[in-house]
Amino acid sequence: MSNRLTEFKEMLNSWKLKEIVLMSLLGVVFAVIYLMFYFFGMGLTNVLTPFGLAPFGYEIIFGIWFIVSIVAAYIIRKPGAALVSETIAATVQVLLGSPAGPRLIISGIIQGLGAEVAFAATRWKNYTLSVLVLAGVSAAVFSFVWGWFISGFAALSPGLVVAMFIVRCLSGALLAGLLGKYVSDQLANTGVLRGYALGKERQNKREKKSA
Amino acid sequence: MLSSVNPSVKAMTILIPGVLLAFMFDIFTPLAYLIFTVAMTFILSDIPVKRYLAIFSPFIIVALGFSWMTMLYTSDRFAGGEIVFSFLWFDITEGAIITAVSLGIRSLCIVALSLMFVLTTDSTKFMLSLMQQAKLPPKLTFGILAGYRFLPTFRHEFEVLRQAHRIRGVGRAKGIRGRIRQFRRYSIPLMANAIRKAERVAIAMESKGFTGSTGRTHYHEMKVGRKDWMFFSAFVTAFFAVVFASYLFGYLNIFGYQF
Repeated sequence: MSNRLTEFKEMLNSWKLKEIVLMSLLGVVFAVIYLMFYFFGMGLTNVLTPFGLAPFGYEIIFGIWFIVSIVAAYIIRKPGAALVSETIAATVQVLLGSPAGPRLIISGIIQGLGAEVAFAATRWKNYTLSVLVLAGVSAAVFSFVWGWFISGFAALSPGLVVAMFIVRCLSGALLAGLLGKYVSDQLANTGVLRGYALGKERQNKREKKSA
Repeated sequence: MLSSVNPSVKAMTILIPGVLLAFMFDIFTPLAYLIFTVAMTFILSDIPVKRYLAIFSPFIIVALGFSWMTMLYTSDRFAGGEIVFSFLWFDITEGAIITAVSLGIRSLCIVALSLMFVLTTDSTKFMLSLMQQAKLPPKLTFGILAGYRFLPTFRHEFEVLRQAHRIRGVGRAKGIRGRIRQFRRYSIPLMANAIRKAERVAIAMESKGFTGSTGRTHYHEMKVGRKDWMFFSAFVTAFFAVVFASYLFGYLNIFGYQF
């Protein structure tokens, strides 16, 4: 464990301070968005309750809760970006007073790990759309396993659980993977990311084109 | 008293029953612990009852929704016992009702635990305590605190953006498509500003000699004392006492296995 901790610290040391602050800030911004979606999901749930499909209210929008992993990893492109940013977003939600409480931090770590695994599989080198979508799905799978345990899905009929799983994976692919890439690209268009990996990659492409 | 407990210890205290409750599928265990948690919240803090109820009551509706779905779609392992009533093409059994009510009360119990933490914890102190007790790297801690500090300024920036749009004659969005476009018009510039701020803050921190080394002194020293451990052991002991009582009364049900 302490070995892992020193490894984690070494990893953070390879980061520039401005990258860490950017990641923290993304965590804070998306925590606010996450919290808004929490209450939006509550509304959706209440609409679906009469049909006995209450939890689908959250399953449909579940992907949004993985988006900061994809955005941070896609912009900064360093090991740990997906995991740490998601954990920060979860922690800040607790700071803001999320009714889910400190347990949310564990959920955040697990979701972040899910996304990180996908980037680790490419040795943190490939950030194409398909990898980003895969990261969103992977986060969905991880979070579903945790949810199965913590929310008592064991008591639900298998057919319903499978349906929930599929909806969550789709949501992860679209709302985290696709939307995450879109948001980051839009940000890169404004030019504020020039100092980070995504902005630099764009600059290189532009220079190649003009040369 | 609750607000003076060390935030990291408090978070740990809430985490343990919060995770262990996931094993319990009977009604007695979560209900007894819910009552204990709410009682302790009012005994150990001075949160007004009215305010607490205003925050807590929406979750009762959510819990009912989840219970209702669980009742309709209970897995075979949990849906034992006689059929109590039928709804459309669903046959609701005794086991299904018990499981559904248990899951509903469990989620309320988690909400009660969380509210106890959230309503009595200062966010800056929580971060400082995470750095000093949980050994979170200072680079992350101060990065998060700096980002957190910017939140109130977002509202001001949002106002400025709206006025800027209005001066250019951008009207209110109509329809879903317009709403989405409007959301993009606000969110991207807001985030771009946030990124610029992050860069400036990082430069400011470095120029003032912040290296992020862990061997630093702290202006606000967060300590863990006897009171914190008493709080911790009270809540964890109470949990196991409830589980034991539930076992004695013959209610205890862990993942569908009756004890």
